[in-house]
Amino acid sequence: MFPFFKMEEKEHVLEVLENVKKALRKKDYIEIKNLSDKVIHISSIHQDSNVISVAVIIYALSKLIERKNYQTEKNWNDFYVNYLRNIDDMIVALRKDNLKKFHDEIQENRELIQGLSGNLKIYIQDVFSRAKVNKASRIYEHGISMEKTAKILGISLWELAEYAGKTGIGDVNFAVTMPIKKRIKFAEEVFG
Amino acid sequence: MKSLIFDSGPIINFAMNGLLPLLEELQKKFKGDFLITKEVKSEIIDRPLTIKRFQLQAFQIKELFRKGVIKHADITPKQVNELRKIREHLMQVANNTFKIKKRYVHLIDKGESAALALSSILPNNPPLVVDERTTRMLCENPNNLKKLMEKKLHTSIKPNTGNYSYFEKFKIIRSTELMYIAYKKGLCKIKDKGVLEAALYGLKFKGCSISEDEIQEIVRTM
Repeated sequence: MFPFFKMEEKEHVLEVLENVKKALRKKDYIEIKNLSDKVIHISSIHQDSNVISVAVIIYALSKLIERKNYQTEKNWNDFYVNYLRNIDDMIVALRKDNLKKFHDEIQENRELIQGLSGNLKIYIQDVFSRAKVNKASRIYEHGISMEKTAKILGISLWELAEYAGKTGIGDVNFAVTMPIKKRIKFAEEVFG
Repeated sequence: MKSLIFDSGPIINFAMNGLLPLLEELQKKFKGDFLITKEVKSEIIDRPLTIKRFQLQAFQIKELFRKGVIKHADITPKQVNELRKIREHLMQVANNTFKIKKRYVHLIDKGESAALALSSILPNNPPLVVDERTTRMLCENPNNLKKLMEKKLHTSIKPNTGNYSYFEKFKIIRSTELMYIAYKKGLCKIKDKGVLEAALYGLKFKGCSISEDEIQEIVRTM
């Protein structure tokens, strides 16, 4: 689907991607991870599939840099160079307000992974699959329902529930909406 | 016949914790129907049957469905149409409740809305079993959901407070409260006192939105 987002969103995504490039020079994967969360704020509101893909691409990049064991795999160098070029091309497309080209570059990123083979393909697919679940958990944390979030990211509710349960989402004070005694009393009445 | 309407989360949660036999025992004690919508069936059986990691649990849930422990509501074609209309309406209302910078935030989806709609069309609006946070907060305290989202999104939200009343009639039970009932009724095969706490944490860690303080309070009530 052709991407549609407003100028404000475009500027935000562009700024994040430019900061990713800066963080890349220092191989600062923690900063890159934080930048992917900045995209999540806007993704939670607008739920644009391309913007969400950018969050996944950035988070996956942080993992690729963090875990050096991928880097000894055959074809790693070519893949990494193309991955960075792909991000550069997204930046250029956004600077030129060419949203179709930006959309094409997101698609290009998917094709990059599809084009891999052997262990590297398995590793990278795993990184992306985990990145999707991580970003889904963040969107759920921002107040979007579990089902809606799973649908946006194209993951199953099972994966999301399993991951989100390990975070502190249930411990947020606002989420305690009824005294526990009242809940138990109600449950007992239902089964009474 | 009384009934309880299940969202996907609690059944997934019971399955991932190996607690499905307890669900069957609970249904017997309940002396009523444990209902699911077709959207929920798709999420708890049809889809995970295609994912190797969750296939075993999906088969176990499918068996519960075959035995009638969980079932579809016995409703007429006319009620099916009504359910569909209410589902779409509730989804539209929910997703036009919070506005951020001139845009409404899409909060819930078809499955969650369908479970609420089913409760709407059945006599006495049966309670729903829901583990996920957003739908529960929308029903129990939408203003807290607004505050939570404002805090997380670092922006102000303009609410359509008139929409809140659409959801206040729905009563929610979580998987953790079902676990409490199962323990209290002696349905757990392991009689160790620590089992309840362990099971509550198990359910929390597989997606039930419950705080540690709430778990401790439940344990203290025993």
